[in-house]
Amino acid sequence: MDILLIDNNDSFTHNLEHLLAISTKSASIIVESHANLTTLAFSRFDLIVISPGPGAPVEYPGYERIFASGKPVLGICLGMQIMNEYCGGRTGRLQKCMHGKTDTIVFNGTEHIVARYHSLYVTQLGNGLEILAENADFVPMCLGNRSNRWLGYQFHPESFLTPHGGAFIDHALDYLDLG
Amino acid sequence: MTMLSTISISADQSRFVAFAGYLAREKGADLLLSSSGYPAKTPSVAGVHPMAELIIEKDTTPDEIKKFCFGTPALTMGFVSYSYGMKLRGVASNKASDFPMGHLKKYEATAEYHPTTNQVVFTSENNPLITELTERLAALSDAAPKMKLHGLPHAPPAASLNHAEYKAGVRETLERIRSGHTYQLNLSTRFTWNCPNLDPLALFFDMRNNHPAPFYAWLNSGSSRILSTSPERFLRVTDGHVLSQPIKGTLKFDKYTPELASLLTESLKESAELSMIVDLIRNDISANCTYGSVFVENHKSVFAVDTLLQMYADVHGDLKKDRDCLDLFFDAFPGGSVTGCPKQNSMSIIEELEPHSRDVYCGSVVVIRDTMNMDSSIAIRTAAYDISTGSLDYWAGSGIVVDSNPASEYQETLAKAEKFLTLGGQ
Repeated sequence: MDILLIDNNDSFTHNLEHLLAISTKSASIIVESHANLTTLAFSRFDLIVISPGPGAPVEYPGYERIFASGKPVLGICLGMQIMNEYCGGRTGRLQKCMHGKTDTIVFNGTEHIVARYHSLYVTQLGNGLEILAENADFVPMCLGNRSNRWLGYQFHPESFLTPHGGAFIDHALDYLDLG
Repeated sequence: MTMLSTISISADQSRFVAFAGYLAREKGADLLLSSSGYPAKTPSVAGVHPMAELIIEKDTTPDEIKKFCFGTPALTMGFVSYSYGMKLRGVASNKASDFPMGHLKKYEATAEYHPTTNQVVFTSENNPLITELTERLAALSDAAPKMKLHGLPHAPPAASLNHAEYKAGVRETLERIRSGHTYQLNLSTRFTWNCPNLDPLALFFDMRNNHPAPFYAWLNSGSSRILSTSPERFLRVTDGHVLSQPIKGTLKFDKYTPELASLLTESLKESAELSMIVDLIRNDISANCTYGSVFVENHKSVFAVDTLLQMYADVHGDLKKDRDCLDLFFDAFPGGSVTGCPKQNSMSIIEELEPHSRDVYCGSVVVIRDTMNMDSSIAIRTAAYDISTGSLDYWAGSGIVVDSNPASEYQETLAKAEKFLTLGGQ
């Protein structure tokens, strides 16, 4: 499998690269900066991953061609919020902004400890997306569109604070029909 | 090409420190002086008679630095300034500073003290010089160097950000956190004293006697004398194995008791500060480490230095086959514990909020042995004295997270500067 990982100037992107490599066992992963997005050729990739990053989706233009390509997309944190805004959803400030702390969420019927790093959250869901997990305060933690093969996690599977991060990559590959 | 010779001599740490004082005073040596009893252990190094020097400027490339360090077998010692890190990370600055972006040297002779074996190893191509140095070491007493402190500042320093300005900076940082543009940011202030009669080397050894820490360094660079009293390791590479030991979480104490550690380890705020930087360091070393090799150990360990408890973690990895220790260093520089997270954005905000230039502060003191072996500190708790102007600069800062209180962060900054702020009865 060939994975394109687009880096939104974040300091967690290589953690995500390593997690993807370990979880898929054999994938080849190319990391590209968001700055090169407009000229990126991505037809050869089987999966496009949008990294976390600082700031709001509006500060990261150019993802339209990724979503229009029909390729499976996995978005993490900001990446999920970018996906949501592409679908017409909205992003706003969290009352309790949270960085470097864990939360316990129910995901696929099981409790999971996950790492959270975010000041912003999905305040209005985009068209065609469904909320697949939320936390106790009803903050969306996972959303997706199965037929378009898009999935987003608000939390950080690549953090060392998420004990079973690989399970979320396995789930994503399954959801995106790449398993 | 002449071969490097090495000679080992038994000596304990105090004798080596006395010897290092002699070398610095009489031979203009540069020093990395470690201390025992801390989680970061490293050999102490004295370098005399620089035979090659590289002053890092804005146009100097990492490849040129690699060529300097790896082109000949002798070890390299020196510093890399935070300002070079800004260049590497693409963060522009319009602050005027003529402080070098780094200064690296190779020496005609080095003496290294290995605490595990109590051996001093001399390395040089110049056999008569080795003989002279070994005889001098043998003749010295074990007493710490006796240097008379003089010229200490008697008036309080000027601060680049005073109390009110620092707190305003913290409040602005909190707003940038709530808007999502940084998750944590290290905000510093600079203290400047005018003390034209200061003996900076005497101050360095006095500091080390009274406030030991594992990464003391004394470095000569032009008219600057760098006095680094850092407790923090940035990156060590041992035969390709990487160890970083970021410090985050500080607690000032009056009297040390082991139970105090839980005030740090059980604090959600302090834990989040460290966890964030651990994730950042994992990321920064992952760029040059093999898949599956990066792991965290001893998360939220605590040690005491000065009158501060400090929390840290060990982050490990293994270099990829085609990478060397300087590939790692330059991709991970400056250390995440002194920038904030994510790094590039936090550095841009720091540049905006801090009126001063960080210069050597938050850079790194490095000892580079070969492509697979190096050690380096984070140049915090660090002063620079200019012998031509008599100006002494010392910087201190604090990591700001969403739960930070501006007044407490200012107090933490003062605590990190206390050993300099109390000099000379100001």
